[in-house]
Amino acid sequence: MIDLTKTNTGLWREITDNCGDIRKCFNCNTCVAGCPAAEGDPPLFIRNLVRKVLLGLEDELLEDETPWLCVTCSACEEMCPMGVHPFEVCLDIRRWQSKNDETYIPAATAEIFETGHTQAVGQVQEKRKAVGLEAVPPTIIKFPELLKIFQEMLRNTDIVRENDYMFRS
Amino acid sequence: MKYGLFLGCNVPAVRPDVERAIRLTMPVLGADLVDLEGSACCPAFGSFPSADETASLAISAWNFCIAEEAEVDLVTECGSCYSSLRIARSKLLESEEKREQVNRLLEPTGKQFRGTVKVRHMLDVLFNDIGPEKIRESIKYPLENISAIVQYPCHTLFPSEIVGFDSLSGRPRMFQKLVEALGASVQTYSRELQCCGGAGGFVKGSFADASEFAFKKLRAIKKETDAEFIVASCITCLQHLDRMQDELNKKNNDNAYSLPVFDYNQILAVCMDFNPGEVASISTISRDEFIRNIRKK
Repeated sequence: MIDLTKTNTGLWREITDNCGDIRKCFNCNTCVAGCPAAEGDPPLFIRNLVRKVLLGLEDELLEDETPWLCVTCSACEEMCPMGVHPFEVCLDIRRWQSKNDETYIPAATAEIFETGHTQAVGQVQEKRKAVGLEAVPPTIIKFPELLKIFQEMLRNTDIVRENDYMFRS
Repeated sequence: MKYGLFLGCNVPAVRPDVERAIRLTMPVLGADLVDLEGSACCPAFGSFPSADETASLAISAWNFCIAEEAEVDLVTECGSCYSSLRIARSKLLESEEKREQVNRLLEPTGKQFRGTVKVRHMLDVLFNDIGPEKIRESIKYPLENISAIVQYPCHTLFPSEIVGFDSLSGRPRMFQKLVEALGASVQTYSRELQCCGGAGGFVKGSFADASEFAFKKLRAIKKETDAEFIVASCITCLQHLDRMQDELNKKNNDNAYSLPVFDYNQILAVCMDFNPGEVASISTISRDEFIRNIRKK
């Protein structure tokens, strides 16, 4: 049984930044109907996440990993009749979770900090040469001096400042 | 026509044959590609956008600045890069506060976001700037009597007001017309506009269900069409529809699903007579026989 007198009723103000006014959500299920990840187990039901935010169910929301199932297709963004921007709700919740529990911070952020990329772009030289391309593409991986400047820029962001042990150059 | 080729991460690392195909085919059609030297990850939705918005926008702005310095619009094949960059640009242009925060972060790097360049998807450039007619004239091996299905990249459809370029985002037709320009006929089917399901965290977080989602699409293709190949224009769709056929075959313990999957620029490159060993050499489901048949004609 959830005790609604003990919830954080201001949670929606804390979380919602880029999405629309989630108070307009009336649980119509459109965001679920076209969502690939709604077929997951457990399923991603954005309308349920919106309820958790509105009711202020902080602990439940912090433990809920379903926002991370989102395929980012944004069909819900297009279809939502109330302008709630369900995809942005998903990202807003992910950011709130990452801020409140560092284990949520995706490893990909550290990879981008370290190399500028989420893939080993600099370590597939033979594969690239075999198709007639230059061994290292002309991205940040090819310019160590630019990567250093890029890392310096990111050192001034909240996420890197607050979790500096995760980010190594 | 000059464009800045935004590579992202997956194309240059996982499917460099797609990069090769793009670099060879676009100049033939009059689209000169310049390198965006020093560009980084877009960044992918599952990275900084899921953890720190300002940091995320700063990385996108880093990429925009490189294109601004070169005075070219960015063009990318990857659906996720396209959508991430389009959404970031729209946020930066809409909010002065966000723009200022990002420019403060950029200042020590010597860069400044101005918002003077646009983000384009490969399909948009191919259809709206080049056009099917020019493509039709450029090929040596037309795909006559061959039927295809197209996988529209979801990231180019929704949300239409930010990413859209097809006049009909809910019932897009451009991709079909581009494939028809190669001589193939394009069939439609019930799950045509369902996304491939391969992006984001679905596959990683719920593999069996994500696979089943893709299997439904593959079964619909088999049941409702007699398509001989699949055309994608997004690195994730390309890899996912290729890999998931293999997964479905493993599950069924047979080889019933063996449709070659091409990125549009790859099949275009084959039709233009570029070396298949360079432009279409990496896949799970073999494309060799299909390519041999095209080149025999």
